[in-house]
Amino acid sequence: MTATIGPVPADPYPWPYDGAVPVDRTALLCIDWQTDFCGPGGYVDAMGYDIELTRAGLPATAKLLQHVRDLGMLVIHTREGHDPDLSDLPANKRWRSARIGAEIGGPGPCGRILIKGEPGWEIVPEVAPAPGEVIVDKPGKGAFYATNLDLVLRTHGITHLILTGITTDVCVHTTMREANDRGYECLILSDCTGATDPGNHVAALHMVTMQGGVFGCVATSEDVIAAMEV
Amino acid sequence: MPTVEASPTPFTFAKNSTALLVIDMQRDFLLPGGFGESLGNDVAQLRRTIEPLTALLAAWRAAGWKVIHTREGHLPDLSDCPPAKLRRGPMIGQAGRFGRVLIRGEYGHDIVDELAPVEGEDVVDKPGKGAFYATDLAKILENDGITSLVVTGVTTEVCVHTTVREANDRGYECLVLADCVGSYFPEFQRVGLQMIAAQGGIFGWVAESSALIEEITR
Repeated sequence: MTATIGPVPADPYPWPYDGAVPVDRTALLCIDWQTDFCGPGGYVDAMGYDIELTRAGLPATAKLLQHVRDLGMLVIHTREGHDPDLSDLPANKRWRSARIGAEIGGPGPCGRILIKGEPGWEIVPEVAPAPGEVIVDKPGKGAFYATNLDLVLRTHGITHLILTGITTDVCVHTTMREANDRGYECLILSDCTGATDPGNHVAALHMVTMQGGVFGCVATSEDVIAAMEV
Repeated sequence: MPTVEASPTPFTFAKNSTALLVIDMQRDFLLPGGFGESLGNDVAQLRRTIEPLTALLAAWRAAGWKVIHTREGHLPDLSDCPPAKLRRGPMIGQAGRFGRVLIRGEYGHDIVDELAPVEGEDVVDKPGKGAFYATDLAKILENDGITSLVVTGVTTEVCVHTTVREANDRGYECLVLADCVGSYFPEFQRVGLQMIAAQGGIFGWVAESSALIEEITR
């Protein structure tokens, strides 16, 4: 018997829409848990934000990771970053980062900011990828645009996604919107996400639940763990 | 080059490489008695965008610049509607006051009279919230050398936000007009605009249409 997930008590409906889903059709997305976004000396720290806000979801995500690995669920990590020659960095993205004092590609305490291969670009140890887990590198906020994520998911027969990561209103939301338009049934976890602005975290979660779940559902990692049937 | 007072910084654009994007100003979402209202929403929250958008369209057309409209909707056999979407939106494809809800070709699926596309304007039909996924929008923009977008339409936190996020990742500069985008929910209107201009303009710029019209007609 394949293990299943669901129904998870979620807002605005018990997730997933089709009752329960085999774990082999579900993937856990760990979005941009990088030092640049939640570590000391990283990009978000350099911009002057409080990294405790973006680190808040780390313990719950680490615990959930253990559970889903035990079940054999597909785990996919993403990293936002650019090539060292900046050939995949849109001019306006660079300009805006420079304007707020943390230019992408510029030097920082953790190496060049948001550049592939630099210490700041690496995933933090608490939720580091295990051997064999998929890592998707993305040049934007969304994990689908200009990446192989959709192909990886379809190749594995994935139809349902559980989203964790940072930041709630930027990269997690953009990815959830992309996934939703592509027909994936999505669940975002309120305790495994975080934002540089707590108000935006709450609003982003609330937006998901409107209109019968316009982008999917919201739940906690405890609810997901409790809804796993081995 | 025209420069518009905007948040977080003034927005400068080249007229030959900027398009006005009018997102989902469809009867299903905006008309009293339509799909949006039948879900319990207050369509007045969206309808307040019609007047400023009409004025902006007139100025933009008079200047001879590019206009692109989008419509959310599905094929009559629903073959392009993901099961997860259909299950959550059980009215899609069902008979409504203005025809089958969100189905291409139905009266309710088309754009409100005040903002009807004129000859030569592109109309992009999209199956999702974002205007880039599964559409030819990127190709249209590329062929016309468009690099900046003035974004209007409904709803702010759903289709407008999703499209701006897609555009931003693709390197387009987006100016969102606060009075020409609308949400059924005032709180989402406020926070949706705030998110765009946050962190130095992480998704783009926000301005009022009056500032843009002043520049267009200067």
